[in-house]
Amino acid sequence: MAYAEVAMTDTDETQTAVDASKLPIYVDCVTKQYLGGAFTAIDNVTCAMEENQITAIIGPSGCGKTTLLRQIAGLEYPSYGRILRDGEVIHGPGPDRGMVFQTYTAFPWLTTLQNAEYAMKINGVPAAERRERAMEHLRLVHLDGFKDYYPNSLSGGMRQRVAIARALGQDPRVLLMDEPFGALDAQVRWEMEELTVEIEERTRKTIILVTHDIQQAIYVADRIIFLTRNPGRIKADMKLEFKEGRRFLKKEELITHPGYAETEAQLYGMMREEIEKIRGGE
Amino acid sequence: MSDTVVSGPALAGREVRHEDGPRGAPFTPPKQGFLALKSHYSRKTLGTLALLGALSLFLAWEIGAHSVPEAKEKFFPAVEQVLAALFQLFAEKEFIYDVGMSCLRIYLAYIVAMSVALPLAIGMGSFENLRATLNPTLSALRYLPAASFIPLLLVWFGPTDTSKVLLLFLGVVWFLVAGMLADVRSVSHELVESALTMGARRKTVVFNVILPAAGPQLMTSARDLTAVAWTYLVIAEVIGAQSGIGAVMMRAGRFLNVDVIIAGILTIGILGVLTDTVFRLGHRMLFPWAR
Repeated sequence: MAYAEVAMTDTDETQTAVDASKLPIYVDCVTKQYLGGAFTAIDNVTCAMEENQITAIIGPSGCGKTTLLRQIAGLEYPSYGRILRDGEVIHGPGPDRGMVFQTYTAFPWLTTLQNAEYAMKINGVPAAERRERAMEHLRLVHLDGFKDYYPNSLSGGMRQRVAIARALGQDPRVLLMDEPFGALDAQVRWEMEELTVEIEERTRKTIILVTHDIQQAIYVADRIIFLTRNPGRIKADMKLEFKEGRRFLKKEELITHPGYAETEAQLYGMMREEIEKIRGGE
Repeated sequence: MSDTVVSGPALAGREVRHEDGPRGAPFTPPKQGFLALKSHYSRKTLGTLALLGALSLFLAWEIGAHSVPEAKEKFFPAVEQVLAALFQLFAEKEFIYDVGMSCLRIYLAYIVAMSVALPLAIGMGSFENLRATLNPTLSALRYLPAASFIPLLLVWFGPTDTSKVLLLFLGVVWFLVAGMLADVRSVSHELVESALTMGARRKTVVFNVILPAAGPQLMTSARDLTAVAWTYLVIAEVIGAQSGIGAVMMRAGRFLNVDVIIAGILTIGILGVLTDTVFRLGHRMLFPWAR
């Protein structure tokens, strides 16, 4: 069994004294409404994300998972409530929260290396240091052989890896991923999922992954938050206990792990419940 | 006759090894007619076809010129007569000076128009409230025909180069603004947002993200409007000009020198194609990353 042993932040009942508002991300009673209050995308959601943990946010289409992520990024603001980053209220986007989008956002006019350096460049990291760190990140995403290529000559998966390397360049406290592999084909998506786990193993960041892919969520994440649609509320907050605190660098090892099938079936069941509720309500 | 390969379920589960089996016969694709849909031709074929197209125009001209009655020949000169007139213009009439004056006017007007249109387009494309303030008025200006400003320009500046350059400027600037604004606005919102999540400030986003992202399209818009600028050049030089291609053509018209008029038209056409080529080469050099 070639899985990686990880010492995750200890969150046993013995340590309940942890102040959630001091965690990397603390979503504090957030409500987000649109159309002057006619549509509630997020309804009074409270949750916190820990260090060295991948949290997947899943739920049916239109459940507000992307809205929640964009508010953490600071690209949108809550209607009510607030979001804290290490105890401080988020008032807008900043380099402490890197984001990878579903669409290809690697800057087409910059080479792979220039892209990887970009966040450091605009944040005033000296040239020699940023080159060295950018190359390190490119090695991590297996793109060091393509450093002088422009994004337009790279495949979709490679472009997303450029975007990930660029986001790592700003050395974010939190890495936000908004369906980052949604536009990729199945095989590349699978490679990218394994890469995400590998990155987490190496960088120990707080990663929040928005996805609609149940298998992806189970494989990549340490914890899954399931959101309902209209209004967007937390239906379940699952610690993936069956993983026993491990991360698996190979997906097939997880799939054969005891407890995987049950977890998958449970999540499919929840998704079906939500879909039927939406069908019934409309 | 041994070991005939059977297709279908009989093959399932059996290892098929093509390298051992008989090789298939060469495949001949069906022959395509002249108007084949969505075909791919070599560069050489495409070049030959383009040349054929151009030659057929000159051929039609030549045939037309030779089929008019002799008495009217002066009004429809053949290709060689026009070329002779063109040669004579350059050799004896210092036509290069007129061509230079026309180019000077047109490029000066174009540079001024660009330096007005580009900041307006970037400003309005980046900031919604700026667009809301300026764009409705600027769009309306597009409907004022530039030629209608001729009397006004003549009253204000007389038949000077200033009035000519201003006419050219008015002819292109509002269309440049509209085209370039569309280019800036078509920059993907996610590019801007990803820059923001990296900690980019407003200035960085505008000049380091929006401008390079829109760059190739902006240059294409600029290129497309050079044709319009050439249109207004002739109008500008037809009204009381001493120099320039248009002035030479106007003078030739007074003496019914049709060959000189057509030589002028030909010159403008060639200059237009040259300008277009320069823009294309510049595009390739400036934006090697764009496909």
